[in-house]
Amino acid sequence: MREQLEQIKASALREIGACGSLKALDALRVNYLGKKGQLTAILKQMGKLSAEERPAMGQLANDVRKELEEALAARQEALRETELAARLEEERLDVTMPGRAKKTGGLHPLSLVTNDLIDIFQSMGFDVVDGPEVETDHYLFEALNLPKDHPARAMQDTFYLGENLLLRSQTSSAQIRVMEQRKPPIRMVCPGRVFRADEVDATHSPVFHQMEGLVVDKGVTMCDLKGCLEQFVHEIYGPETQVRFRPSFFPFTEPSVEVDITCSECGGKGCRICKGTGWIEILGAGMVHPNVLRGCGIDPEVYSGFAFGVGLDRLAITRSKISDIRLLFENDLRFLEQFN
Amino acid sequence: MKVSLNWLKRYVDIKVPVEELCDRMTMSGFEVEEVEDLSATMENVKVGRILKLEKHPDADKLLVCQLDVGEEEPVQIITGAQNVFEGALVPCALHNSRLPNGAHIKKGKLRGLPSNGMLCSGEELCLKEADYPGAEVYGILILKEEYAPGTDMREVLHLNDVLIDFSVLSNRPDCNSVIGLAREVAVVLGEELRLPKPAYKTCGGDVNEHIAIAVEDYDLCPRYMGRVVKNLRIGPSPDWMKDCLRGAGMRPINNIVDITNFVMLETGHPMHAFNLNDIAGRQIIVRRAREGEKMTTLDGKDHALTPEMLVIADAEKPSCLAGIMGGLESEITENTTDLFLECAKFRRDNVRRTARTLGMRTESSARFEKGVDTIGVEYAMERALQLISELDAGDIVEGVIDRNNGLPAGRVLTVSAARINELLGVDVPYDEMVRILNALEVETTLDGGTLTCAIPYFRDDIESRADLAEEVMRIYGYGHITGTPMRGEVIRGKKLPARVHGDEVKALLAAHGMRETATYSFISAKAVDQLALAQDDPRRRVVPLLNPLSEEYAVMRSQLASSMLTVLATNISRKNPAGRFFELDKVFVPRALPVVEQPEEVPALCIGVYGAEEDFFTLKGVIEALLARCGAEGEFVRSGEPYLHPGRQAKVLLPGCEEPAAVFGEVHPAAAARFGIQERVYLAEVKPAALYACMEKRRALYRPLPKFPASTRDLAVIAGRELPIAEMEKAIRAADSSIIERVELFDVYQGSQIPADKKSVAYSIVLRAPDRTLTDAECDEAMRKILHSLEKIHVKLRQ
Repeated sequence: MREQLEQIKASALREIGACGSLKALDALRVNYLGKKGQLTAILKQMGKLSAEERPAMGQLANDVRKELEEALAARQEALRETELAARLEEERLDVTMPGRAKKTGGLHPLSLVTNDLIDIFQSMGFDVVDGPEVETDHYLFEALNLPKDHPARAMQDTFYLGENLLLRSQTSSAQIRVMEQRKPPIRMVCPGRVFRADEVDATHSPVFHQMEGLVVDKGVTMCDLKGCLEQFVHEIYGPETQVRFRPSFFPFTEPSVEVDITCSECGGKGCRICKGTGWIEILGAGMVHPNVLRGCGIDPEVYSGFAFGVGLDRLAITRSKISDIRLLFENDLRFLEQFN
Repeated sequence: MKVSLNWLKRYVDIKVPVEELCDRMTMSGFEVEEVEDLSATMENVKVGRILKLEKHPDADKLLVCQLDVGEEEPVQIITGAQNVFEGALVPCALHNSRLPNGAHIKKGKLRGLPSNGMLCSGEELCLKEADYPGAEVYGILILKEEYAPGTDMREVLHLNDVLIDFSVLSNRPDCNSVIGLAREVAVVLGEELRLPKPAYKTCGGDVNEHIAIAVEDYDLCPRYMGRVVKNLRIGPSPDWMKDCLRGAGMRPINNIVDITNFVMLETGHPMHAFNLNDIAGRQIIVRRAREGEKMTTLDGKDHALTPEMLVIADAEKPSCLAGIMGGLESEITENTTDLFLECAKFRRDNVRRTARTLGMRTESSARFEKGVDTIGVEYAMERALQLISELDAGDIVEGVIDRNNGLPAGRVLTVSAARINELLGVDVPYDEMVRILNALEVETTLDGGTLTCAIPYFRDDIESRADLAEEVMRIYGYGHITGTPMRGEVIRGKKLPARVHGDEVKALLAAHGMRETATYSFISAKAVDQLALAQDDPRRRVVPLLNPLSEEYAVMRSQLASSMLTVLATNISRKNPAGRFFELDKVFVPRALPVVEQPEEVPALCIGVYGAEEDFFTLKGVIEALLARCGAEGEFVRSGEPYLHPGRQAKVLLPGCEEPAAVFGEVHPAAAARFGIQERVYLAEVKPAALYACMEKRRALYRPLPKFPASTRDLAVIAGRELPIAEMEKAIRAADSSIIERVELFDVYQGSQIPADKKSVAYSIVLRAPDRTLTDAECDEAMRKILHSLEKIHVKLRQ
């Protein structure tokens, strides 16, 4: 019997060691250790042994059983690992194949620019307001210090809807509406659509967009204006960009300035984009004209303020190097999909 | 304002390079638009005297010239022109020369003989008869005057000059003049300004014996000044004056006309010269034109005049459009002997309106429109007479007629220097302020921190402390302004609720694959017809533009659908296979027509989709997602929008709202075709206000997660073919059972397996109780109740 056990053990260990699959291994387990297995069959013969032999044989049989079980378990673990490795190998993908996803949409480049500006100014405490696109002569001209015979009125070709009703040609009208409704301190921006009777070409559109900014408080200076605009310019064009004031004229600000920034293309060295000057004009600004403040019931002897107006279309165009303003209004999907 | 550097130098020393002058002028408020160096147009073209002329031995039509070009040895040049002769002075383009037409001339050989350059025609030097007499003659330009051989042709042609085009801001009409610009140049360069001091001799007499002047409408003509010059000696102007005029883009004509133009450019005051003998009754009447009056202007055009227009008339008829253009009949010609000279101020808006109405724009009208000052009229007149005297162009009659209704008094401003610095945020030294203002001819004194400033008559724009601050700063230099970070109380910037909600709607639509569009706010008046809107549809009430760019952009839009259909059509025609778009913008709803007050500007949302994977339900899915995001529960009901497919459209009704929050569906093929679209496209018009209202009320409230498992039962039923799915779902929900958690439609079948008037519908029903695991018996009971409820609308279990 001992010999039989040793034999079973030897052959079982050999077969387990050679076994190549979990299924075959299971068959081996049944064959040796199952109810009708070889080891079980041997154990059934224990009754025939003498009482002296029995404990030793029993011990031996249990040792064999234990050894075989351990061998089976070890083999099983090894085979599992191999099979997993084989499966993982089998499942190897070409990871360079394209992904699958629902196409997402996106906002119009003008909205993207507008939102960026809103974020910057809102974080500096500016309220974001809205104003009517159809304006009265009062808000668009009179209250902005452009009396009836002012030559600056002729500078902008305005669309008329009625004698006293026009499509706003600048968002500056929003300044008046805000100053009439609130008292200082005021910090607001008003993004929106504006209209001018320009013939359409690569750089002109009868519909375009601006954002007006206004700050009124005690002791607001031109240095505050520059500091505020520098914040905005650094966010949009990078912290190394410089800001320059150049004298200009707007009826509703005094002093008035054009605001230039160092050309983002050449860094101020001079190139084709900036016509060799190193500077690019990005917006008009100034200190709110005392007549404008007074007209809105704000005493210019007590309060001062600054205002600025940014062309959003131009910002979008320069930022993304868009070659033609008309692209913004054609809405060709292949154009829109370039902005995320 | 384009001005030649040489002209500026008549009044101010310019010792810095042109680039520096331009930079400094730009930074003080006079942006330089363009710089044109006339001398750069040609190079190495010199005057040559033809010493000897011989026929070319090997060519009949070529001549071999030996020329003295101021060098030690004569130069040989071969020419084909036949108008040359020995002794003639001609322009020679020598070896390595450049011509204004871009040609580069080098030495070479012509039929075997060396030619060291080229003799030039007037055309090759880009000259017209007005530039140099004989310039348009066929052949080589033969120079008229005597020049030393070797003289640079640029000197001969007065090309050693630079033209600078300054952009003059509209608050500085005084700088639409050379003197005005010279004054600025003098200030920025720290040089002295030298102005001409008019002086002349008269021939005696009395102007009143020659002419009478009456101004009827002082409101349109605050000042009118007249002088008389007799015995005109009309002839060409001197070269220096011609050069100035040409540089400014004006054509020299004769001494009298040139003087009026020169003085206009120099002082900014337009002048007009009348033939005194053509003035009927020797009377000048400044008045509004009478209804029905006509006149012919110098350019030969006839004009019908109206009483809104100011004219200079004689005893009989208008002879000049005030401030715009003279009449043909009183024109100065070579035969004119006596002159009436006008210098005046006309009101700018009146000149502008008349010029626009008549479609005219002249150097004179442009200046009056921008504004000329009243006082300077006198200086301009004196200056013109000085030039007439200097050029000996006529005999000046003693006396002036000056009609005005009171000249403006000088303005004196008293301001605190400290307040100027307060506005700027910069400490400009007070004495520097005084220096700058005085240099600008604002006579300023400082007394204990107070500036007293006498504003010069030509600076009508300086009215307040802010204006003085600007004058100080633009000269002191904006570079001194250093940015300071935002100061003051920390305040939170707020957005309007409509913007917050709108941004959220946009983000949701973008997440559903939609691209935002931007289209014009004005559209064609025909758009409402393209949409086949009913005659009484409120969207037909649109606000028209009084001056639209074209019919295509004639009215303010009352809906976004037509704009969206245009976007879809554009994309389809450009072969983009599929697209999802939205636009969120304002539409314009008039309160009354014709409009007298501002129309309502109502936010509107339009969605448009097309492509192989789109249908009614993909669009509906987006609408549902939108409603869900806004916390709105809407009912979908068949609708009757005329531009949508009658069987494939629905409106969304929100509880408590009569107006639908949205209408959407497949676009009617006929309507699509009117926009040039042949394929199926889908469109939704949404009223954002209704959604925003829901968003305001929306609040996320936690519901406990289920603790017990759900049971799912499938249910297949047979229903009437026309029975809406929504009715069946309502019936299921109406079943007398509290454990129905979810009802999910998973199949609808119509076909051969079932009767033609029926459809088979399959649901997956999820049952759950919050406090226990359901038993089979409970589930069976719930399903029985559902069937019972369905049977009331004749829906039966499918066997």
